[in-house]
Amino acid sequence: MVRLKSRYLLCEVCVSDRSNLLLLDDRAIYTATKAAVARAHGDYGAALSSLGFSVKYLNAHTGIVFLRCRKSHYRLIWSALPFIASLENRGQRVPCFLNCLHVGGTIRTCQKYLVRYNTQQLHRMLPFCQSEAERSEIRKSLLSCTLKKEADDVDEEEDD
Amino acid sequence: MAVFMDLNITYTTDKKRLRSVIETAAHLGYSTVAINYVVDLQQKKQEIGKPKCVLELFDTFPIVQGKSRPIKVLNRLTVVASDPSHFRPNAEYKAYDLVAVYPKTEKLFHAACMTFDVDIICVAVTEKQPFFFKRSPVNGAIERGVFFEISYTPAIRDSTMRRYTIANAISLTETCKGKNLIVTSGAERPLELRGPYDIANLGLLFGLSEEDGKAAISTNCRAVHLHGETRKTALGIVHTMKKDQPLTERQEEEHVPASKRAKLETVDS
Repeated sequence: MVRLKSRYLLCEVCVSDRSNLLLLDDRAIYTATKAAVARAHGDYGAALSSLGFSVKYLNAHTGIVFLRCRKSHYRLIWSALPFIASLENRGQRVPCFLNCLHVGGTIRTCQKYLVRYNTQQLHRMLPFCQSEAERSEIRKSLLSCTLKKEADDVDEEEDD
Repeated sequence: MAVFMDLNITYTTDKKRLRSVIETAAHLGYSTVAINYVVDLQQKKQEIGKPKCVLELFDTFPIVQGKSRPIKVLNRLTVVASDPSHFRPNAEYKAYDLVAVYPKTEKLFHAACMTFDVDIICVAVTEKQPFFFKRSPVNGAIERGVFFEISYTPAIRDSTMRRYTIANAISLTETCKGKNLIVTSGAERPLELRGPYDIANLGLLFGLSEEDGKAAISTNCRAVHLHGETRKTALGIVHTMKKDQPLTERQEEEHVPASKRAKLETVDS
């Protein structure tokens, strides 16, 4: 069987103030990306990005986004991502930038990478704990989160 | 092993902002950054000062994403030259790890490529390039191991600048065929930095192939860093450094015989 292959861009939304992340939603990222592609590549880019382009997943707590696009022209869309300087939602502008972490052929490989990446983040953040009590509390909350779904686990890890 | 480097972070007197830029760079996975001091000698009363000590910035340097070692911070001097007298190598240049020149005229560009003792030649990104890149000086620069720099921050800020950046970058890559090119940020604020993989892919717009795009932020930057290092040494072969003389007690001399040996060290590069 032949299927349409796509590429998934796993991106991280970097903002200066993390509380602003909760303002984001799928729609804001979708429109911002499309506008950026249209600005960088004109009508041709806009036409290509309208094919099979979607925001598959957004985690507003950790600022992780999955973008899906066709395999044949994902580099064109990717090259426009650095030109996004702010996202707009309900009249509020959030200055930010997208940092691409991983490019994968399936959601599954991206998810695997994300789990590894978040573990790495946890190890980076743990030394910043103020006291031993805080550290043990984080450890406890990590262990207490049930492993019903892997995705839940991922969410929990970065809410330091 | 490709470590990513960003050899242009604009110096600001605001220490807190500079610190947050470097922290963001470490978060994005850059192993080395260079703080850029720009000197425009056309304006009067511009002095090349000593660079600020990088150790003053942080107590502990932030750890690089995905690595276990702290970020390395270099100092870089950019001389904006519109007259041949502006570029005078003297003792002040030696305090910097890297030296760059931003030639404004074709004559100076030729001189920068062929004779100036620099590591980096900046390419205009905020205005239309006033001259063509000729094959002979560019080839001369490639032969000498001097690198050309394109910074992408103006392209992010403004649409007109983006056109200039892309146009100048493409006219350069047509001449140098993607070799000896580095892409740097030139960021003043933390939100103007971009991730290394995004920049490698941005090379697509600058007319670079996938491989050259990645080299432009990793291996080429390493070559620039080593080139800067060789300026402090004798042709990169012999490197002298001062060692603390051991105290006169004989006991200590017995413990540390190594320090009595020749104070010459070969640089392995």
